[in-house]
Amino acid sequence: MANALLSLNVATRTVNSGSNAVTLLDKINLQVKEGEFISLMGPSGSGKSTLLNCIGMLDSFTGGGYTFLGEPVHSMKEKNRSKLYKEYIGFVFQAYHLIDELTVWENIETPLLYKNVKSSERKALVADMLDRFNIVGKKNLFPIQLSGGQQQLVGIARALIGKPKLILADEPTGNLNSKQSTEIMELFSQLNKEGVTIIQATHSEHNASYGSRIINLLDGRIVSE
Amino acid sequence: MIKNYFKIAWRNIMKHKVFSLINVIGLTIGLSASFVIGLMIFYDSTFDTFHKDGDRIYRVVTDFKTPDGEFYNPGVTLALKSAIEDDLNFEAISEFYRERPMKVENRANDKEFKLPKFVIFADQDYFKIFDYKFIAGNNDNALSNPNEVILTKERALKYFPNTQVSEIIGKTLVYNDSVNTKVTGIVENFEGRTDIVFQEFISHPTLLQTRLRDNIIGKNWNNTNSSSQLFVKLNPNADISSINSRFKNLSDEHADEEDKKYGEERIFQLQPLSDIHFNENYGIYDWSSGQASKSLLKNLVLVALFLLLLGCINFINLNTAQATQRAKEIGIRKTLGSSRKQLIGQFMGETLLLVLVSAALSLLLSRWLIGVFSDFVPEGLSFELFKAPVLVIGAIILLIIVTFLSGFYPAIILSRFNTVSVLKNHLGVGDKKVGLRKFLTVFQFTIAQVFIIATLLVGKQINYLLNKDMGFKTDAIVSVYKPIEENSLEKIELYAEKLASIPEIKGVSLGGPPPASQSSNTTDMRRMIDTEEIYGEMQLLAGDTNYLDLFEIELLAGRVHRNDTIRELVINEAARKFYRFKSPEDAIGKTLLFENEYLPIVGVMGDFHQRSLKSEIKPMTLRGDWYREMWSYFQAAHIVFKSDSPENLKRSLTKIENAYKDVYPKSNIRLEFVDETVEKFYKREQKISKLLNWATGLSILISCLGLLGLVIYTTNRRVKEIGVRKVLGASLLQINTLLCKEFLILVAIAFIVASPIAWYGINSWLQDFTYKTNISFWVFLISGCAMILFALIVISAKTLQAANANPVNSLRSE
Repeated sequence: MANALLSLNVATRTVNSGSNAVTLLDKINLQVKEGEFISLMGPSGSGKSTLLNCIGMLDSFTGGGYTFLGEPVHSMKEKNRSKLYKEYIGFVFQAYHLIDELTVWENIETPLLYKNVKSSERKALVADMLDRFNIVGKKNLFPIQLSGGQQQLVGIARALIGKPKLILADEPTGNLNSKQSTEIMELFSQLNKEGVTIIQATHSEHNASYGSRIINLLDGRIVSE
Repeated sequence: MIKNYFKIAWRNIMKHKVFSLINVIGLTIGLSASFVIGLMIFYDSTFDTFHKDGDRIYRVVTDFKTPDGEFYNPGVTLALKSAIEDDLNFEAISEFYRERPMKVENRANDKEFKLPKFVIFADQDYFKIFDYKFIAGNNDNALSNPNEVILTKERALKYFPNTQVSEIIGKTLVYNDSVNTKVTGIVENFEGRTDIVFQEFISHPTLLQTRLRDNIIGKNWNNTNSSSQLFVKLNPNADISSINSRFKNLSDEHADEEDKKYGEERIFQLQPLSDIHFNENYGIYDWSSGQASKSLLKNLVLVALFLLLLGCINFINLNTAQATQRAKEIGIRKTLGSSRKQLIGQFMGETLLLVLVSAALSLLLSRWLIGVFSDFVPEGLSFELFKAPVLVIGAIILLIIVTFLSGFYPAIILSRFNTVSVLKNHLGVGDKKVGLRKFLTVFQFTIAQVFIIATLLVGKQINYLLNKDMGFKTDAIVSVYKPIEENSLEKIELYAEKLASIPEIKGVSLGGPPPASQSSNTTDMRRMIDTEEIYGEMQLLAGDTNYLDLFEIELLAGRVHRNDTIRELVINEAARKFYRFKSPEDAIGKTLLFENEYLPIVGVMGDFHQRSLKSEIKPMTLRGDWYREMWSYFQAAHIVFKSDSPENLKRSLTKIENAYKDVYPKSNIRLEFVDETVEKFYKREQKISKLLNWATGLSILISCLGLLGLVIYTTNRRVKEIGVRKVLGASLLQINTLLCKEFLILVAIAFIVASPIAWYGINSWLQDFTYKTNISFWVFLISGCAMILFALIVISAKTLQAANANPVNSLRSE
């Protein structure tokens, strides 16, 4: 049986909007095991992105417990938390969020810089990644010179370069046409088969079906699994 | 990692070319100014730092405290040395006398050199105080006997060309035809920067063979000549306070009865060697090389500081304004694992890169600036000085400070962004810092505004100084001086005769300097009214009977002196009032007591300015050439032209020069226009004015560039708003007004802040002048309008373009 990767225990996030407290995530209980491919579904504003951000430690839960690889994230200091997500988590965004000023090569390389990987090793890793995604020919181009699908490929390559255990994808195909969409989703299931845990947020039933588990959210609550 | 930072920094710089250019220009100007001024400070502060035990070397100088104020003399009485010789606080005491010989001859080689500079009559302790390296002869008993001379290598090679230094020893030099000296030593010239510029050291006892014989033998306590210099080297454990009290006792003991009566006091002071280069009270030996002025340096430092600050402010403003554009990158980097520290490091790296680019440009620019500011930059200063390690380290520290000053705040702001909101495009982070940017912009424009007002007012004052009636004719008059070494009166009279025959010349008068000049000749005169005595200083002006006429100075009563040598006085109005004569007529026929002689007043002339308008008109008297048998005061021929049209002037000047060559074939003519002499009074003010012009121009440039950057940024952000407004029917003018308004308000606030500061500064500057222009309201108004106009032009350049754009383009996207 696979190990537990993370678990949420009545995790809640509320924010103050003016004088009202708004609950974005309401008592979420969720266990994720290594090797799972989870699709979060729900209408806009249901809390998919918030949940992903909280799991990815960009945001934090305001209540409840969050354990990642056995470590209690909710009681961690910022520095340790940052170390944790740097090591284990990769992000893929709907709007790709590549750094416009950097080339494809440099974009993919950046996470390694922050992990203080040695130069020669970096070169080898990036070259492998480019090879694997068939974008060697584009390594010196800047993001604006690529199509959306290619940009997202670079985004995924960048997320994978640090060999994360978990990939968080927030509507990764939202800006893509159906052909590109399919390619990206195929890639995700391929990665999943290689052992990477994936949590994606999506609107599309079709994309959700690539996952091994579908979680429906509504108004910050898990309504069905 | 670093490479990555620099790469992205470079790409960012190139991507925002306009902003980068604005930043680089601002920083480059500030850094160039700092570099040049840093060089100057380094240059001036490294004078005479190389002497062995330099901190124990002092010059003794004399201060005079009188009811009229303090006066400073770099010399001391000749009697002082022997009075302090027994004091154990001194390791060495050297007196020397500065005396410029008329000529020196190397008769063996039949060579003659006129008026050698930097010749002193020094005693044997001189070489114990200053450590010269002897390359021929030696230091033992140097200069102890009469008729000995030690030369520097430079001088020795000049007097004895193509001769080995060792062979020069024992050769003879003849000063002023009669003083024979034997060369006993040759020393290396000082290599470092120094004010101890002497080249020829004649042994002190030789003075007895010169015109100064009586002074040397007499050693009068009450005679202080600035040429009589005294240097001391203190013992390592010397007690300075005991030296000072010794000096005090000596001056008390030898105080003159008269001085006591008029409340005058003499104070001997120890002036540290390091102070000589800076202290304008006592001056330096080579006056042509210009002395360092601490106040000028201070002003220059302020200017550099302001320019640098303005550059940094542009940087802060533009970078915080641009923050939103960088926000996305920051958000991504954070999700990729960058810590805040790393982000700050990255932005500081970018700042550093810009600063380095600016610094490189500044180095190139400084070379050029040294030329432009030759008025301020000491002559010997060259760009090569920049190799000095102190300066290199100083420059590096400056660059680091500038990097921190401009980069740190934006880096803090940028790295603080919240990742999630940035990635979700919930921005507006840059807008939160609007208040700070406004403050900084106001600050910039305040500085620029102060500079503008100051420039206008200083210009106004200079204009007033130059155009105020001096009280005598200054235009179309030229003064021709006779050669210094020429004593004969006949020759200058012959010259005057030759001049009189030139048709373009209206008149000639022989005399001392023109009515207003830098030189002064002062004595004391007194008037006895019954038993009461009126005692005061009287300026002396030498001139022939034609002098007043030529300079068109009004004679209020009486007549001028009857001939050139008769001892009669023509006093001015100020003197008339000072000595309490009721009217000009009342003074005629009365006498003033000068030394032991009652001199008759035969005329009263109108007041005119004898010096710059900084000082008041002082009591003065015109007199003839009283001591003609010994020494003639008639040094110059003043010439007035019939017309001052350029052709006439040119023709006349050629004739004047030809006549001079006829009379003085061996000498070069020294000729000064009187109006130029007057202008020279205000050299310092002109310098300040030039400095202000530059400071103003540059600060306006930097501030306006910064403003342009902000305008470009805000207008770009409001493109959509402009589009919507245009669709709704707003006119070009309305939109432009809308866009300009917020910036013009800032400029206006700056004006309100700047006005009182500028008023205060200029008002205190004007206190130096006895005669001053008024600080007019319209100057403020004009400068305010000018600033607003500049700003408006800069702002409109961008806003009009934005307002003109087709709204379809801006509204189509999204």
